[in-house]
Amino acid sequence: MKENNKFYIGWKDEIPTRHAVFLKKLLIAIFILIPMLGFIVVYFQKPFNSFNFEFGNTTTITGIYYDSPIPMLFADEGSLERGLSRDIVLVGYGKFGAKGIIENIEATEGTLRGKKISLNGTLIYGDGKMLMELTKKENSFVEIVSNNAQTSPTKSAFKEVSVSGEIIDPKCYFGVMKPGEGKIHKSCAIRCISGGIPPVLKTKNAQGENQYYLLVDQDGNPINKEVLPFVAEQISVSGKTYKVFNWNVLYVDVDAVRRM
Amino acid sequence: MSDNYTSILWNKQKKRYDMILWAGIVLLLLSFTAFQFVLYKDITVETLIIRATALTAIVLLHIILAIGPLSRIDSRFLPILYNRRHLGVSMFLLALIHSAFSIIQFHVLGDTNPIVSVFTSNIKYDSISEFPFQTLGFFSIIILFVMAATSHDFWLRNLSPKVWKGLHMSVYLAYAMIILHVALGTLQYESHPVYWVLLILGFVIITGLHIFTGIIERRRLNGDKTDLIENGFYEVCSVRDLKENCATTVFVNGENIAIFKYDGKLSAVHNVCKHQMGPLGEGKIIDGCITCPWHGYQYRPEDGQSPPPFTEKIKTYEVKMINDMIWVNPSPKQEGTFVEPAKVKTS
Repeated sequence: MKENNKFYIGWKDEIPTRHAVFLKKLLIAIFILIPMLGFIVVYFQKPFNSFNFEFGNTTTITGIYYDSPIPMLFADEGSLERGLSRDIVLVGYGKFGAKGIIENIEATEGTLRGKKISLNGTLIYGDGKMLMELTKKENSFVEIVSNNAQTSPTKSAFKEVSVSGEIIDPKCYFGVMKPGEGKIHKSCAIRCISGGIPPVLKTKNAQGENQYYLLVDQDGNPINKEVLPFVAEQISVSGKTYKVFNWNVLYVDVDAVRRM
Repeated sequence: MSDNYTSILWNKQKKRYDMILWAGIVLLLLSFTAFQFVLYKDITVETLIIRATALTAIVLLHIILAIGPLSRIDSRFLPILYNRRHLGVSMFLLALIHSAFSIIQFHVLGDTNPIVSVFTSNIKYDSISEFPFQTLGFFSIIILFVMAATSHDFWLRNLSPKVWKGLHMSVYLAYAMIILHVALGTLQYESHPVYWVLLILGFVIITGLHIFTGIIERRRLNGDKTDLIENGFYEVCSVRDLKENCATTVFVNGENIAIFKYDGKLSAVHNVCKHQMGPLGEGKIIDGCITCPWHGYQYRPEDGQSPPPFTEKIKTYEVKMINDMIWVNPSPKQEGTFVEPAKVKTS
C-alpha cells in the first residue's frame, strides 16, 4: 500500500507526497520566473512614440480645403487650441484615403477645392504633423463657410534631393498604431496605402531628426499601388521636392527606387 | 477512464490543476501589462493584448512540449502531463485572441477581405527578412484549433488512438511555424539580442529534451536484443530484477512488451496504452490492474482487458520461467485474450 502511494494516478483525488513536494518547489520557481520573464520581454523592447489618435473624440475644424497634391485642410489660425500644426492631411475611415469620401461630399455640395469648409473628424498628430480621420465618412462634412478662397496652396521652389528611409502609412504611424512602422506593421501599411492613404517616406536628417516626404508620382499626382512593393522596407530615392505648408512633397520615379 | 462522455470529469486534482494554470497565466498577463504601463505607457491597448497573449501562449506551448520528455526522465512531472490537454486548450485560447486581434488590427477595414489580405498584402514569399510571417501564424492557429477541438476523449475514441495521436503530433509542425513566425516577424523589428537568446534557448530546450529521451528509448530498444531463443520464446531477464507490481520492458520481433510481476505471477502485455499510447511498462499494478502512468487507464494483466464497464483491450503474450529467468513469446495474442500467468519460482 505504501509503495502504491508513491505512484501517481490522475483520476484519484490525492496526489502522492513525493509528487506534491516536488511540484510545490517547481511551482514556486515557475511563479518567481513568470514576472521576471515579463520584465525582460518588456524592458528590452523598442520604445513607443507619444503620438496621438483621439479615438472616440471628434473635433470640428474650419479651414481651406485643397485636393492637390493630396486632400488637405489648412486650418484657420486659432482653430486648433493646442498649437498643433495647421496643415492637416485628410484620411478616410479604416484603411482608406479621404478621396472617395470627398468625392461623395462634392457630389452634393459641389467642388470644395479652395473653399473654406468645416470638417468633423478624429485628430491624429505627432512629431509636428497633423492628420484628420473623416470618421463619420460623408457626415464628417459640416458646412461650406465661404467660397472665395485661393484654389491651390502656396508652394516653395523645387529642389533636388536624394533621401533614404522607410515608406510608412502616415495614419498608423502618427498615432493610430504603435508601432506603426517596420516589419510587424508591414501588412497594415500596405493595406492602408493600397486603400488610398498617401505614402510617406520617413527619413532622418544629419542631426538625426525625422523628416517626412509625401510621395507623389513624377507628374505630381497621388501614388499608391505603385509603391506597395517597397512599403516598410529601407529604400533610397532621388527626385525633386517642394514644400507645401509644413509638408515636403517628393516626386518619385518608382523604377528608380532602390532597396538598401 | 470513462465509459461514457461528459465534458470534463472534474476531480480535486483537476480543479487544483486548472486553478494553478490560470493563476500562472493571469500572473504573466498582469506582470507583462504592469511593466508595460510603468516602462512604456504609450503602448496601445491593441498592441498590449497582441503581445501579452503571444508571450503567454508561446510560454505555455514550450511547457506543453517539454512535459512529455520530462515525464519520461522524472516521473514526478506526471501530474503536469495528466491534464496536458487543459494546458493545450488554454494555450489555444490565448493564441486565438492574439490571432484575432492581429487580423483585426492589421487587416480589417481595408480594401481586401481580411483573410485574403493575410496572404496577399505582403507577397515576398521569396525573401527571408521580408517573408509574410503572418501566414505562418495563420496556419499554426488552424492546427491548434483542430487539436483543441479534438482534445476530448470522444474524438480519441472515434478517430482511433493512432489517428488521434498522429493528428496531435502536428503540434510539432505548429511549433516550427510559430518559431519562424516570431523569428521572421517580431524579431525583424525588435532587434535586441535578448529576444533571439530567449527564442533559441526555448527551441534548444525542447529539441534537446526530445533528442535525449529519444536516445534513452533507442538504447532501451537496442539493449533488449537477445540471441537466446527457445521454441519461439526469448530470454528477457532474471525475475529477481523485477520489483513487485512493476514491469520490465522488452522489444523483440517488432513487439513492444511489458512483463509485470504481481502476486507471485508474471504476465506479459503490449507496452502501449490504448488511450494515448502511454508506456504501460512504466506503470504499476494497482488494485490488481496494470495502471498507465500517463492517465491512469487500467488493464487486467492476465487478459489485457480493462475492468468492466470499460472496454479497452490490449494484446497479451505467453510468458514462462526457466530457473530464475523470464522468457516471453513475442507472438501476440488477440487483444483481450486470456493467457495463463507464469508462476514465479525462485531458486
